[in-house]
Amino acid sequence: MKYVIIGSSAAGSSAVETLRKLDKESTITVISEEANLRPYSRCLLSDYIAGEIEEDGLAFKSADFFEKHNVETIFSVRAVRIDGEAKEVHLSNNEKVPYDKLLLATGSVNFVPPIKGVDSKGVFGLRSLEEARQIRNYTQKVRRALVLGGGLVGCETAYALYRTGIEVTVVEMASRLLPVQMDERASEILKSDMECEGIRVITGIGVQEIIPTGFWARLFGKPGKGVQLTNGERLKADMIVLAAGTRPAVGLLQEHNPGIQINHGILVNKKMETTYPDIYAAGDVAESIDTLTGKRSLSPIWPNAIIQGKVAASCMAGRPVDLAQQIAMQNACEFREVPTISIGQVEATEKEDQVLETYRPQERIYRKIVLRHGKVRGLLFMGDIRGAGLIGSLIRTQRDVTSIKELLLHPEISWAHVADQ
Amino acid sequence: MTRRSAHASTNQMLERTRDMGLKTIFDRYDAQQPQCGFGMQGVCCQLCSHGPCRITPKSPRAICGATADTIVARNFLKLEVHGAAAYSHHLEEVAKTLKATAEGKTPFTIGDEGKLKEVCKAVGIKGNSTKELAIALSDVILNELRKGSDDPLALVKIFAPKTRLEAWEKLGLIPGGVHSEIRDALTKTMSNITTDPVDLLLTTLRLAIATGYMGLVGTITLQDILLGTPQISEANADLGEIDPKKVNILAHGHVPLMATAVLQAAQTPEMIKLAKAAGAEGIDVLGSMCTGQELLQRSGHSAKGMGAQMGNWLAQEYIVATGAIDLVMMDMNCSIPGLKEVADRFHTELVSVDSILRMAGVDKNVDYAPEKAAEQAKELITMAIETYKKRGNDIVIPKNKAKGVVGFGVESILGALGGSLDPLLDVIKKGLIKGAVAVVGCTNNRNGHDSAGLQLMEELIKKDILVISAGCMSSAAQIEGMQDPVSAAKAGPGLRAVCEKLSIPPVLSFGSCVDIGRIGVLVTALADALNVDPSQLPVAASAPEYLEQKAVADGVFAVAFGLLTHLGPVPPVTGSPLVTQILTQDVEGLTGGKVLVELDMVKAADAIEAHIMTKRQGLGI
Amino acid sequence: MRKEVMIDASKCNGCLSCTVACSAAHIPSGDPLEALLTGEPSRIAVYSVHGKAVPITCRHCDEPACVNACMAGAMQKNAESGRVKNENTGHDCIGCWMCVMACPYGVINQREKEGRSVAVKCDGCVGRSVPACVESCPNGALTYGPVNEYAETKQRQAAASQVA
Repeated sequence: MKYVIIGSSAAGSSAVETLRKLDKESTITVISEEANLRPYSRCLLSDYIAGEIEEDGLAFKSADFFEKHNVETIFSVRAVRIDGEAKEVHLSNNEKVPYDKLLLATGSVNFVPPIKGVDSKGVFGLRSLEEARQIRNYTQKVRRALVLGGGLVGCETAYALYRTGIEVTVVEMASRLLPVQMDERASEILKSDMECEGIRVITGIGVQEIIPTGFWARLFGKPGKGVQLTNGERLKADMIVLAAGTRPAVGLLQEHNPGIQINHGILVNKKMETTYPDIYAAGDVAESIDTLTGKRSLSPIWPNAIIQGKVAASCMAGRPVDLAQQIAMQNACEFREVPTISIGQVEATEKEDQVLETYRPQERIYRKIVLRHGKVRGLLFMGDIRGAGLIGSLIRTQRDVTSIKELLLHPEISWAHVADQ
Repeated sequence: MTRRSAHASTNQMLERTRDMGLKTIFDRYDAQQPQCGFGMQGVCCQLCSHGPCRITPKSPRAICGATADTIVARNFLKLEVHGAAAYSHHLEEVAKTLKATAEGKTPFTIGDEGKLKEVCKAVGIKGNSTKELAIALSDVILNELRKGSDDPLALVKIFAPKTRLEAWEKLGLIPGGVHSEIRDALTKTMSNITTDPVDLLLTTLRLAIATGYMGLVGTITLQDILLGTPQISEANADLGEIDPKKVNILAHGHVPLMATAVLQAAQTPEMIKLAKAAGAEGIDVLGSMCTGQELLQRSGHSAKGMGAQMGNWLAQEYIVATGAIDLVMMDMNCSIPGLKEVADRFHTELVSVDSILRMAGVDKNVDYAPEKAAEQAKELITMAIETYKKRGNDIVIPKNKAKGVVGFGVESILGALGGSLDPLLDVIKKGLIKGAVAVVGCTNNRNGHDSAGLQLMEELIKKDILVISAGCMSSAAQIEGMQDPVSAAKAGPGLRAVCEKLSIPPVLSFGSCVDIGRIGVLVTALADALNVDPSQLPVAASAPEYLEQKAVADGVFAVAFGLLTHLGPVPPVTGSPLVTQILTQDVEGLTGGKVLVELDMVKAADAIEAHIMTKRQGLGI
Repeated sequence: MRKEVMIDASKCNGCLSCTVACSAAHIPSGDPLEALLTGEPSRIAVYSVHGKAVPITCRHCDEPACVNACMAGAMQKNAESGRVKNENTGHDCIGCWMCVMACPYGVINQREKEGRSVAVKCDGCVGRSVPACVESCPNGALTYGPVNEYAETKQRQAAASQVA
């Protein structure tokens, strides 16, 4: 049996572990366009930029990970085409890799907004270690940075750049920061926290154009470079980080697709099978069913990628299992020493939704739970994240919590209260 | 984790403090959960440096060899010693003030000369003038406090029912001087002295009798002589009574001496002028806890002009959290350490007015001295006015207000009934009222701040059992309108008819916790009138939310007095089956009283009713 | 046979000895007083459940959700000992709280260590023959022994239904 995995991040590496656990003999090949030899955590790249961890600290697996799992690695090479009939992956170096079972764990790519000047010098994405290295180098010689996008990556990057000692502005086109993970109040808290630190936050306005050095001088008669906002305002910025969201990395299938159905991401069933035989997908690139909504959804978060990688691998190795309940939206983060966890539906969307909340601005605590028909739909805990895991499990299992409703927001709620109910 | 107060005003303030990020007693209660089972059972000993020891299945004895029985009984006696000591401090303050007043050195005047003469006669003091009598009585009381433990207390001999004296004498329980009794008891509880649990428990009875006749009966008697015997009057209660336009002084604690002086001085033109100059419309002295109850029941005479009662022990932080209290004058006990944190969040000044009270973080102390009381009162009011000037705009006053009738006691009941207890005895004999229960003592988070107490009162009056309240339970009833005659509608038909006929509420306020002595006097009068022992009467005592050590002394006194004594929170004795059995069963054979522990108030009311019916049967009524 | 900490909540009286012993066992001196003074956190917690004390600690799940969630690679399940821990695993915890979010039993907490916020949880007292909490329990509420089949099945079922 020949297993081929494209991608070596969360889903790819967890698939490697599971495959090797279940199948000691077969060959496993991992293909990655990145040059690194050790799986690293993209989520930590902002800490790396900030100088708080070094490259070693990015690794989430040991240095001998591939060796230890007896994996053949093909790095710094891109997979360009899948020949489903021949069961081969074509590489950018014109080689072909045969497979019996193929896993697409290509993750996602940075979304590059169609703005004039995005390709100029000093404009970066933040997706790979290589990009992070470039940003980290660049911060040494600049004064002002602009982060385009106020989502999780944008905010984390803004704080990271700020920690290196440069001035930072965040521009978010939506009306508030983290519109997916947070409700209005939480976004407002985050925004005012950022502003307290001296990070400028501009919301509800987009970037019209990135104006490179030289051109700026010609336009405005002064040296510099920067951006022009949709409201006409001009902001000087020596570097710009694009954090306008990500898209599933399906480029490989764009020109030649053997017949794999793609919606936003690659459609998979509970066994992580795509619509084409012997090809699986897991992680950010896959589109699976969200437990809460019952609808197809991308779930570009770390734990889901790990689990999907495991499920895919298990099915590939002939031990079929089903993907358990997954919530697409779950996130944990910490800005300015205020930890935040949000899971599922953080706002009431239907008439029957009930909101429980504690808001204690003096203590910098905001805790909110959304209920529907006696079951928890979502949580947003800011400042005090105790109980988040427990309530999260109640969301995933959709257990009736009517009898312990009073206790749900209490930070000292325990598993025993739930079991005792 | 979702405990709340029985009172809407307290809950509103609790939410307010939470919104402010202030941690108050409900939050701290939560934070302390779960609490150690060894401590709850009383089997933890920290007396010597071998300790702490605790009794567990694998270690049935402490390092010294002490058993659970010894440790529990010793701990229990130590708790009671605290209560006895505090009560005797109270009595000493009152006795000294009475003497200084007779000598013309205080702002007070003798409030009840008739009672002074009556008591002096009973004690055997002779004298020509009020002054002479008051000085002599004070000296006798001060001497009674200090004399040796081998010299029997005069007040016990004079005031205790004869049948009680016989029972107590048989057991060697007639106590001597209170301070000496405290010394002896405390000495016994030292490591490796008395380890016999039965002797330790008998000592609790003896110390309780000393406390009952001195700290309780002695104190109320002298307070009545000094400040006047309570009279039936109307009272207002709850936080809605706070007037934000006034300088507000909260009289908080148990000893009403400084508070009375402040209340009287606050009504002088000099002080009112000063308040007005600061922009206030006047000065209100508001009541908190037992000091408030003392003022309330004397608002017809020495405490004329008294504002409303704010609440009981558990409410103190929430009263301050209105933001409208300028000064809290704290006397003797029950000022919780957490009060300072809330006061600091506002402009509120905390001042100790008792030399034994020093609160961490409070640097202003105006230690009450009878001879200086007039000046000290002005000083306190001036401080309150100065603080008023710093008051911010962050004020929230709940809308809740309540009305009630207060000032009950043997004298005022006799007055209302035309000079005889017979009408009361008649309705009891006829069964319109089955009996009476003193629902007294503290309030407690464990029971949800007054929730248990109020539930018990409601259950009892439904059963045609008259409730007599004192201490924090009085405030609980006042705030929920149970001392308003209209609440007779909540009583059973018999009690309701009696209440409506006399225009009295089904819950009679006997005042503060020291007024438990006043209840003792009533029970004694009833027993005398029927020529029986108190243990034969259809009465009982209950401290459904008992909290601290004075309540332990009260409870043991009630047992010694021959009463069934119900407790809500489980006292820390369950680690010793022997002590538990003695307190809840065997002691009945000795004193006629016993402890009933019942956390379910419906069941407690049933058990108390059953007890009362047995006693009625015994009396053939 | 792998041993586990077994909890019989009916025997717990909330004395918190286990929490003190746990803190002490996780500082070099092992001194309980020092542990209390330095604020070393306990990795076992005793909750008050409707007034009843109930000890709760990590169950060292077969399919640990916290390990799946850890993006720093710090949280690992040791194949031999079965212990799940995030200290001395070759990767440092970076305090992202993904494990706190993932753990259905709520047994992972936050602490300050060397100026950073990191996750803290039961490490199974690696190196001790009996975990400190068990050793200190005066009531027999915590015991340490081989997982019998019934308990193991139960644990696995519970874990499987909650994980992911």
